[in-house]
Amino acid sequence: MAALTATAPARPRKLLASRKTRVGILYALPVVVYLLVLFVYPIFSTLLLSLKNTDGSLTLHWYADALTGVNLSVLFTTLRISAETAVLSLVFGFVLAQAISRLKPLWAGLAMLVVVVPHFVSALVRTYGWIIMLGDKGLVNETLAWAPGAPFQLLYNELGVVIGTTSMMLPYTVLLLYGVMRGVDRRLLAAAASMGAGRVTIFRRVYLPLVGPGLASAGLLSFILSLGYYITPALMGGPNQTMIATLINQQVTKENQWNGAAAQGVILLVLTLAGLLLVKAVSSLGASRKKRNAS
Amino acid sequence: MMELRKTLAGRIALTAVATVILLFLALPIVVILVTSFSNNAFASFPPEAWTLNWYKALFADGSKWPAALSLSALVAALSTVFSLIIGVTAATALTRSELPLRSAVYALVLGPLVIPQIVTALGLFLLFEPAAMLGSPIAIALGHTVLASPIAVLILIATLRGIDERLEDAAASMGAGRLTIARKITFPLAAPGMIAAAIFSFITSFDEFYISQFLSSVDTVTLPVQVYNSLTFEIDPSVTAVSAILIAFAILALGLVALVRWIGSGRQDSLLSVENTVGVASHGGEAV
Repeated sequence: MAALTATAPARPRKLLASRKTRVGILYALPVVVYLLVLFVYPIFSTLLLSLKNTDGSLTLHWYADALTGVNLSVLFTTLRISAETAVLSLVFGFVLAQAISRLKPLWAGLAMLVVVVPHFVSALVRTYGWIIMLGDKGLVNETLAWAPGAPFQLLYNELGVVIGTTSMMLPYTVLLLYGVMRGVDRRLLAAAASMGAGRVTIFRRVYLPLVGPGLASAGLLSFILSLGYYITPALMGGPNQTMIATLINQQVTKENQWNGAAAQGVILLVLTLAGLLLVKAVSSLGASRKKRNAS
Repeated sequence: MMELRKTLAGRIALTAVATVILLFLALPIVVILVTSFSNNAFASFPPEAWTLNWYKALFADGSKWPAALSLSALVAALSTVFSLIIGVTAATALTRSELPLRSAVYALVLGPLVIPQIVTALGLFLLFEPAAMLGSPIAIALGHTVLASPIAVLILIATLRGIDERLEDAAASMGAGRLTIARKITFPLAAPGMIAAAIFSFITSFDEFYISQFLSSVDTVTLPVQVYNSLTFEIDPSVTAVSAILIAFAILALGLVALVRWIGSGRQDSLLSVENTVGVASHGGEAV
């Protein structure tokens, strides 16, 4: 009897909950089905293909191929160019975010517009803009015509690729770092100053630890995003700047070598996922540090 | 950081460096816009004389650009429709219902945004190639929707979260049915977000390169693939004009989103204003 009266009021709520659940499942179906069929399944079939021999048996030799000889050096080039891009876009992003965070709202808004608008212009178009600018008779070489050694070779080498990819990644790092910098509690800096800490000490001991995790995630993110980059390295680089995405593209469109391309795709995927896990670890570290500082 | 570089020299140095970085971001775009009117379309800056020839050449006989443009527009329109359907339903499920495995669904939606696009493109190629659908605008649009729909979902989640659910509750308490609420309250308030989602889905598809390249055939080439081809294989100076048009298009789309947001922001305030006036009136004596 007591049990009955206890469950009675819970019933309509449960009914309501189950109705809300049913509606939720119904509305979630399109996106789930769509992405399972056109995103998850294709990636799994890529994984399968990378493990299949021509006769259908399982093999790892596509991975062995992908990790030896020319393919291995392409992988290293990819890692190197991505690292260079990450460092440069982090440094430039830090300086720019720092400058913007000190501007008056109107100017900060305008500067942010200059950061955000290019991000929505096709990367292909921006790459072409760089090709026009960096050529022998381009804007940069014309401006530097007085310098000894001009015109400089700024295209079809690593310098060109890194200039291009850095400009593509910069909007991400600026936006991320701007958010991190706005989140720093300035009272902590003031407190350190009031206790007699010098500028360098404050920067090193208080400010850097606070923005550090944000810096690390921004750097990692631009590294990950550069890994799969194709357009800029293909158009602005030379033969020594072939990146893994270029290789995948070549194998599919020119050589009909799908298994090899699949293995390289899986390697790229694994590197990306490892990077994302690192980002997650770093940001949870940052969150705990913030809590400790605030207490 | 205010405490760190208060010296005038430091401030000037920081401003100068920041200006250079902003130029670094903006110049490639400005250069294309200027060069598209220059009589020498290849890498000479600033131009010596001005011309509209590159724009005229776009529509000359035998030009590949009109076909590429109309294919891209068709594909983008299709994937905008797909993305909106997926976006509206998914955002409703994620904000207005109790969904089991909610975080798994959310992670699935974010997936295409973090996985390298070339991997997604390769997977789609392996899916559509055996089906003999390479070069089909539908296949390309379905592929683009994988990238565009997560963006639509995220925008619409933010939109639905921004709508005060009390408005819907109030309508329900006055006896409005679910459909009436959706039609009269939720839809008008969500419309700006839906337009923004549509615009971003359209741009995403319109500019998409990797999937288009893997799924295109000789006769069906989207605009970005045609731009890429003319930058690598054939020398076609009108690519500068196409690029300038693409830039103008992106700026126009962003302006449109800003405009719609600005119009939309007034709407909910006007609906909620009754409540605010009541609030003011009850404290009227002291407050005014």
